[in-house]
Amino acid sequence: MTFKHFITELNGNRVEGELIKSIFYSLLVSFLFLGILYFFKFRYIPGFIDKYGFYLFFASLSYAVLLPTVRQVRAYNQFSCMSGMMIGMTIGMIAGFVAGFYIGATNGMLMGSIFGSIIGILLGIWLGSKCGIMGFMEGIMAGFMGGLMGAMTSVMMLNDNLRLATIFIFVISSIIMIGLNYMIYAETKESNREKSEDYLNIIMISFALIALTTWIMLFGYRSLIFA
Amino acid sequence: MKNGMLVGIMIVMVLLVGGFVYSNLNEITPENITGNTVATNNGANSNTPSGNVQKIVLSMKNGNYYPNTVKVKVGQPVSISLDSSIRGCYRSFTIRQLGLAKRLTTPSDTLDFTPTQKGTFRFACSMGMGTGTLIVE
Repeated sequence: MTFKHFITELNGNRVEGELIKSIFYSLLVSFLFLGILYFFKFRYIPGFIDKYGFYLFFASLSYAVLLPTVRQVRAYNQFSCMSGMMIGMTIGMIAGFVAGFYIGATNGMLMGSIFGSIIGILLGIWLGSKCGIMGFMEGIMAGFMGGLMGAMTSVMMLNDNLRLATIFIFVISSIIMIGLNYMIYAETKESNREKSEDYLNIIMISFALIALTTWIMLFGYRSLIFA
Repeated sequence: MKNGMLVGIMIVMVLLVGGFVYSNLNEITPENITGNTVATNNGANSNTPSGNVQKIVLSMKNGNYYPNTVKVKVGQPVSISLDSSIRGCYRSFTIRQLGLAKRLTTPSDTLDFTPTQKGTFRFACSMGMGTGTLIVE
């Protein structure tokens, strides 16, 4: 079973064949949400693209890369402890890190840490718990650490090249998430799908994530609007 | 809809939105944010308006910069230094809105610039732990 098989399955009938659609729906929701708000409100904020637009764009991309894993994990539902811990740790860490990073870049360490940790912990617990208490614990720990680390990294990069760091972090996070998708595929090759659902989950979670990120980014107590 | 087509649409979508964001990004420099000029340590910058240098020495009090609010006059060179009570990462001094950042390793190091626009700006250490306000009037 190689990575080539996984790539083939992206067009297949298993849940892996729905991963690209999940990315598509997530991106569509985020871009529509931001586009509408930009047209009616954000374009009147001086320097919006410089201060927020760049980070919101990458936040949309990052959430779109994270969410296919939600669909994949929910479809198989049961995992061994080893796999569940890896899922909880990876999704908790990366979700916490990117969420904390983008909020930290615009709102400082405290807001970034809290937001990143909450997002990381929630996703880490949700997906990690598919294997039981060990994945649950791994999700909490990784989400907490990822949130703090993401915010800290962005705040420390403020006086360096934060934009380049943003691109670098997005690329690395994407590679890690694709690796996780492949790992889940490899671990569940012999398993049957337990749950079949439409894309409403992905759309709702995407909307919630991008709406929360935008709201905190623009109206957080240390956002540049209020600085 | 086939996945290949979805990937194509996604690439176009990302390129369009990313291109829009990229084309509207500005290089963050002191000049294009506020029109301020940054002088060298001895103030020998040809863009620096003439006038008395407003020297500001910050120290540490209650875990933060002191004085916490500093007022300067517009159009006159400003020289900020940190005394020996300030340690660690607090010596990495930034005024992000003016695009200014410098590590003032010793009390004799200074951050020199000339504010050319009135306004209130936040100064901080590089990690945003120590903060204060610079009022240009």
